[in-house]
Amino acid sequence: MLRSRTAAITQRLAAYCGIAIALLVTLFPVYWIASNSFKYDIDIFAVPPEWYPVNPTLKHYRAAFIERPFLQYALNSLIIAVSTTAVSVVLGTLAGYALARFQYPGRWRHQISFWILSTRMMPPIVTIIPLYLAFNHLNMLNTKMAVVIAYTAFNLPFATWMMKSYFRDLPVELEEAAMVDGDTRFGAFLRVALPLARPGLAATSIFCLIISWNEFLLALILTLTDRSQTLPIGIAGRVTQYHTYWGEISAAGFFACIPIMIFAFIVQKHLVRGLSFGAVKG
Amino acid sequence: MVRRPFLAMAFALWSLAAIQPAWADITVLVPSGSEGDGLRAAAADYAKLKGSKVEIVQAPYNNVFEQAANAGQSKSGAFDIVLMDDPWIPFFAENGHLEDLTPYFQKAGKAGPDDDFLSKSLALCRNPYNSGPYICLPYVGNAQMFFYDAAKFKDAGVEEPKTWDDVLKAAKALTDKGGGRYFGYVFRGGQGNPVVADFMPLFWSYGANLFNEDRSKVTIDTPEGAAAMKMFMALRDVSPKGVESYNANEVGQALAAGTAASSINWPNWVATFEDPTQSRMVGKISYTGIPAGTKPGSSEIGHWTMGIMAAAKNKQEAFDFMQWATSPEQIKVSAERGNPPVRTSTFTDPELTKQEKFRHYPVLMNAIQASTPRPRHPKWPEIENAFGIELSKAVAGTQTPEEALKNAQAAVEKIAGTK
Amino acid sequence: MTRALPTPTTSHHARGSGLEQWVERHLRILMLAPAMIVLLALTIFPSAYMLIAAVTRISPNPDLPWEFAGYQNFARLLTDQQFHIGLRNTLVFTVAAVTIEFLLGLGLALLLDRYVRKLNLLKTLLMLPMMLPPVAVAITWKLIYEPQFGVLNEIMFNLGLPPQAWAGDARLAMLSVIIADVWQWTPFMFLLMLAGLASLPIEPYEAAAIDGASAWRQFRDLTLPFLKPVIAIALLLRIMDALRLFDLVFILTGGGPADRTKTLSLYIYQVAYRFADQSYAAAISLFVLFATVAFSTWFIRRMRLAD
Repeated sequence: MLRSRTAAITQRLAAYCGIAIALLVTLFPVYWIASNSFKYDIDIFAVPPEWYPVNPTLKHYRAAFIERPFLQYALNSLIIAVSTTAVSVVLGTLAGYALARFQYPGRWRHQISFWILSTRMMPPIVTIIPLYLAFNHLNMLNTKMAVVIAYTAFNLPFATWMMKSYFRDLPVELEEAAMVDGDTRFGAFLRVALPLARPGLAATSIFCLIISWNEFLLALILTLTDRSQTLPIGIAGRVTQYHTYWGEISAAGFFACIPIMIFAFIVQKHLVRGLSFGAVKG
Repeated sequence: MVRRPFLAMAFALWSLAAIQPAWADITVLVPSGSEGDGLRAAAADYAKLKGSKVEIVQAPYNNVFEQAANAGQSKSGAFDIVLMDDPWIPFFAENGHLEDLTPYFQKAGKAGPDDDFLSKSLALCRNPYNSGPYICLPYVGNAQMFFYDAAKFKDAGVEEPKTWDDVLKAAKALTDKGGGRYFGYVFRGGQGNPVVADFMPLFWSYGANLFNEDRSKVTIDTPEGAAAMKMFMALRDVSPKGVESYNANEVGQALAAGTAASSINWPNWVATFEDPTQSRMVGKISYTGIPAGTKPGSSEIGHWTMGIMAAAKNKQEAFDFMQWATSPEQIKVSAERGNPPVRTSTFTDPELTKQEKFRHYPVLMNAIQASTPRPRHPKWPEIENAFGIELSKAVAGTQTPEEALKNAQAAVEKIAGTK
Repeated sequence: MTRALPTPTTSHHARGSGLEQWVERHLRILMLAPAMIVLLALTIFPSAYMLIAAVTRISPNPDLPWEFAGYQNFARLLTDQQFHIGLRNTLVFTVAAVTIEFLLGLGLALLLDRYVRKLNLLKTLLMLPMMLPPVAVAITWKLIYEPQFGVLNEIMFNLGLPPQAWAGDARLAMLSVIIADVWQWTPFMFLLMLAGLASLPIEPYEAAAIDGASAWRQFRDLTLPFLKPVIAIALLLRIMDALRLFDLVFILTGGGPADRTKTLSLYIYQVAYRFADQSYAAAISLFVLFATVAFSTWFIRRMRLAD
């Protein structure tokens, strides 16, 4: 008895060690960004490295957010990410519900689902050229709207799939009960299914937000000026032909993860519950 | 519960629609960095002076060519002026993306740009090189210089590095003594543009070139090329591990941090070396022209030039702005903002040259006058990529230097369509 | 594993105005249509353009007409070494990165699920890497890998290991890219696995415990089969993203040294924009698209993900 108890304790200790190492490896680069953002350039390159900012400075924050329009970039990113998420989640929820709850002839449910997913397999690099031509023709180059439209193209399939599997996991009886009580089909969706799907909505939103807040390639081609350029483009712009401005990049990069972190923390109680994959419960 | 997401969507769409594209007289595409910052400041001055609105579009350096080519290829009027790195000029000119400036000069009653511009700078702006019509104007006058720690070189028995053999001798001594923490030489070995940019000056100083005179033959795999490659490999052996991924930034940083004694780099680094928040080597870095091989040394010229897009909306205004921005007064202002000039009068302006931060001007002006342009070829980006891959393999040691020359010869022949 | 869905009822209870009844009757298509129209609008033009571009020769000169090129662009795929290198690198990267991410993510999820009660803060912290912009991640890892000043070599040095050139060493460059990607995307796997574990039923485990099944057997016979759908979808999503890796190599290595980290996406980008050869870029993209769709179809069928 005693021996198995010791074994259990050792096991537990080993597990905690594993978790601690994972936490350390995960957090160290984030700490490193944060720490570098407060160092003078010369200290970023100290040999041996400075483990914390010995001479802390706000120089890079001033350079990025006051001398350069990183606040504007952040605002652009925010508008674009929120809009994309709103559009994708609303449309994705409707489509996901329809795919989960209605009957389809033959294999149509599967066909439609797969087609929706397959639109996400398009390599974005080449869809950019036609998108560029189209937006140019519509006089929409360098607008946030253009970026939102392009982002919706690859967030919507994801949102649809996530919501579809979440709805499939909800018991259909509650909606049926509502309808027996005289509610319409759509009413049952609005008043019964949707509130129950809250964790799924939270999880889907956070994924859409992360993807559109951080996207680089499409924004690189479709945006041109401070009016529409996003944070990742602003950050990449500090890698210039001659210099890489590590300090400013670190400041902006660290800043960029704060809003998402706050949002993730607010919705975190939904996050694990919200990721559901239909058949999990067997 | 449902209302919220729908409200959010409505709000989002409203906030998107509310922001209309702003109106501007001229739009200029620039790389983000010191050139872009300088031109942005100039545009603000111009707006105050003339009342015209000049909008600056900034793209990361790695994306400027792509943005300009996209606009040119789709005939989008998105930009009126593009600031181009000089090796791109043939691509844009020969694919009809750029406006011939001759009629604009005629209208202004001039034959062309005045002769206060350095002749090498002007030669770049004509297509074909130095003979065709003007299709752009020089704005930022870059050419590579050789940076070195004079005290360390002296310790190693080299007073002033005049030849690559001097450099190798000093660098070898310093690296041997450095114990893996200090190196005599460092270069840009990153695949693509970086490794090509640091190989070309060596290549030229041994009398080699990519093409013969009339571009009808590729001349990489030649005895001259082999001599340059041999020196390049010898220098690699005394450089720090990891140069295979270095670009201008890493190279400059190695000198600024005092972990390497010499390198080729752009004049932009002079100011950084003298800034105590960015450099441990304030006042210790000297510079000179590119050392000689079997022929006199020649740096790679890397000018930023302004051209008018063929699909531009306001060409005359664009030309007027370019004329103003490249005038002697404005080039001086631009020099004070940290961008090397392109005019003799600015290089020799005593008001500037007496200042510490411009003490490299005589060296730089000589470097530009002794520079060589990268081959004027409309497929240069593709050639540079292919050559860069083979050089990168040689530097990384995954193929021998001989194979690198042979493969580069074949790859460039295939792209250029010569035999 | 798929659970049969209860028959969705077509409502007989609809009351009210004609519009409401009409909506009720066409609800399926009304809910599905917006998403499908948006996706169709956003993909049909790019797909058509890509198909046409792939069989023509588009000059960078906008005044020249497009020439019909037949299958020439596709024939080039067979002989183009750079394409082969890109393909090989992409496959190596995808297999290695996704496998490691999956194993680490699953392991971490199992540990946390079993040993940690209050997950919330820990979970948010462990999710941090995937919230950072990949651009900033690439630049940060570049700094960490830096052979002279980088903190990784300092750590190696302190552990008594020989310093390495990491992203600057042809042998280690791909590994460096994989490490950075694993760092950023393991949290994604971890989160999905955690979600799967949270929804496991309790009864079979109680039964197994009474039978005296070892922890390993419980894992093999119960946990893995229950998790299969989650694992399948997590793998599918990650594989689709890994196959088009761009940001990380664009900034960290530029495809070098010696072409060792050139991915297909990077190559397509170069061909389309640097070399201004849209036609050949379209041909490569079509290849990638078909390969991805074929693989996904096979995978989804294999894993019985669809109903």
